[in-house]
Amino acid sequence: MNKRLVGAVTLGLSAALVLTACGSQSPSGGDTAEGGEVTLKLVAADYGDGPTADNSGDKFWKGVIGEFEAANPGIKVDVQVINWNDIDKQVATMVQNGQVPDILQTGDYSGFVKDGLLYKSDEVLSPATASDMLEKFADFGKVDGTGYGIPFVSSARALFYNKDLFDKAGIAEAPKTWDEVKAAAEKLKAAGVSQPFGLPLGNEEAQAESFLWFMGNGGGYKDASGNWTIDSPANVEAFTYLKGLVSAGLTTPNPGTKNRKDVWADFAAGKVGMVNGGPMSIPIFEKGGLSNFGVAPIPGKTGPLDTTLGVEDWIMAFNKNGRKEEIKKFFDFFYGGTAAQKISDTYKLLPVTKSGIEKLSSDEKLKPFLDALPNATFYPFQDPKWSEVNTQIKQTIGGAVDGDPKEVLGAIQKVATAN
Amino acid sequence: MQQTSAPARAVRALAPLAWIGPAVVLIGVVVVWPVVVMIQSSFLKISRFGVVQGANGTDNYTKLLAEPDFGGVMARSLVWVVAVVAITVAISLGLAQLFDQRFPGRRVARWALIAPWAASVLMTAIIFKWMLDPEVGLINMILRDLGLLDALGGADADPLGNAATAMPWLIFVAVFVSVPFTTYALLAGLSAIPADVYEAARIDGASRLRTYWSITLPLLRPALVVATLINVMNVFNSFPIIWAMTHGQPGYSTATSTIFMYILKGSDIGESAAMSVVNFGMVIVLTVIFLKVSKWKTEVS
Repeated sequence: MNKRLVGAVTLGLSAALVLTACGSQSPSGGDTAEGGEVTLKLVAADYGDGPTADNSGDKFWKGVIGEFEAANPGIKVDVQVINWNDIDKQVATMVQNGQVPDILQTGDYSGFVKDGLLYKSDEVLSPATASDMLEKFADFGKVDGTGYGIPFVSSARALFYNKDLFDKAGIAEAPKTWDEVKAAAEKLKAAGVSQPFGLPLGNEEAQAESFLWFMGNGGGYKDASGNWTIDSPANVEAFTYLKGLVSAGLTTPNPGTKNRKDVWADFAAGKVGMVNGGPMSIPIFEKGGLSNFGVAPIPGKTGPLDTTLGVEDWIMAFNKNGRKEEIKKFFDFFYGGTAAQKISDTYKLLPVTKSGIEKLSSDEKLKPFLDALPNATFYPFQDPKWSEVNTQIKQTIGGAVDGDPKEVLGAIQKVATAN
Repeated sequence: MQQTSAPARAVRALAPLAWIGPAVVLIGVVVVWPVVVMIQSSFLKISRFGVVQGANGTDNYTKLLAEPDFGGVMARSLVWVVAVVAITVAISLGLAQLFDQRFPGRRVARWALIAPWAASVLMTAIIFKWMLDPEVGLINMILRDLGLLDALGGADADPLGNAATAMPWLIFVAVFVSVPFTTYALLAGLSAIPADVYEAARIDGASRLRTYWSITLPLLRPALVVATLINVMNVFNSFPIIWAMTHGQPGYSTATSTIFMYILKGSDIGESAAMSVVNFGMVIVLTVIFLKVSKWKTEVS
């Protein structure tokens, strides 16, 4: 008995020791050190090709921070760059352990608002910076009329087609309607192209590809009054059309297991005739050795889309460590200087500020996307259900092109409307 | 006497702690504590962003059990474990027997077997995924050159895109990375069997099969039980192979419980913790059943 008790006490003590050890680690990175120097902790997503690539997020941020620190003595910035697959889960762990960063750059901000973790955007943005933001983008950063998410970069989608393969198959111009897509795909198939239409419906970004096809038929994830409409007749019809393409062998095989990254690589290798992509796919295609491609509006059922999928990424400031003055200086530096434009140049992402868009308007390849931006449609990411719905879409929506579209979309709709 | 012996007894009682203390601390910190936190989390409401929003009763479990894919995932996990472990053990028994014989080049052959073990499982899985790529996969190219495949790029060249053909490949890769350890464990067991029992069997005129069945296998049992048990736990918790090769897709049709747990983590951390607890319980249950069935405590008669 006695031994057992001693054992339990030792165990408890050691656990406590370890816990305190973990606990004491967290503030050391961010505390005010002697001399009044403040260290901001910045966590950001990697837009590059991984930590060893020339365009790695780590290199990009180190460059920006070097300039910032030179201009602002007394403020240091610690940056941690995390790849897109892991950033949500790692940030969730940080929040759970109470080790939040001061600044976070990622794909969503809305989940932190309800729990009061973020500064309002007007607390950390100077008026000059705030007024330079495109209103439409800034509006998406608002929850109940108050801004929390600060637009960081954006992108839009369009149809890319391989001009060499189109010539070979005798197709004169990019398809504008679903019938023309099918006809072009059949010609490409006959000309020996193994994947006439690249269709990534795997877990990487199935929600984007699906949304583009929904839009082509006037559908979407939600209707105008904000109700979920994932299994609406328009959406089911869109997937029934896709199912026809898939079963005729006109697409990527087993689309529900294929990721955007792989399909884009196949397009760059000349194995795919057409694929939906964004400005960020241009460097990927060019690096893969394909330069003779065209960009066109995305085909819809009866004509090209007058809207497109817009994606906006965010930067936000956590209020836990109370460093809003330093954060404000950093944001002013970032948006006012060359950093924001450097992102667009390096990764072909679109700017979110009026001045940024003006600077890029002469870039020939980005023009179709810049033109599409003002009329873009966004994911319903402000809905608290979206993350769960999104997970379900990524994992299961690909099943709608070989099973029953109504049933698969219905199951996702059920997740969205469950309370 | 009384006064001096009491503290002395206490010191003597505490003395073993100095020896087992570090081990106890280590187990407490890396095993017991995470289990406690995992069970705690499974009863909490946690937002996707990691904010604990209070107690959630058993709602996480109710939600988990109501997931339409839960039953299929659990059944698949069982099939996965049984198939991978059974095939691994069968192959390893044969390989261990082979490597126990003397033949030229045995040393090199034994080394070669270590390779899949030494390589990272994730790397092995990714390499197999690339070899099965519909457009440029090496295996598909060989199949095409042998005339077994009409063309690259189509559904026929995409075994990982379909659960019926993906599962056998996943199991193959899992067996491939499990065989080295199992073989070496069994090889160690084989070399521990004394030569005189074989001699006795030979004098009694036992056939080779009879010798294997009545001498080798029973004496190998301790090694076999340990090797199988470690494999059961490893394979049940195996994550990188399936994640790298199929992500559990299409749908959840190649997902085991570990994969399902990880996917849930993206939308509901509490539910994911509940899945971890169920997973943990499953491993314990499987282990107990296995130990019962294998009668690991009974002596060889």
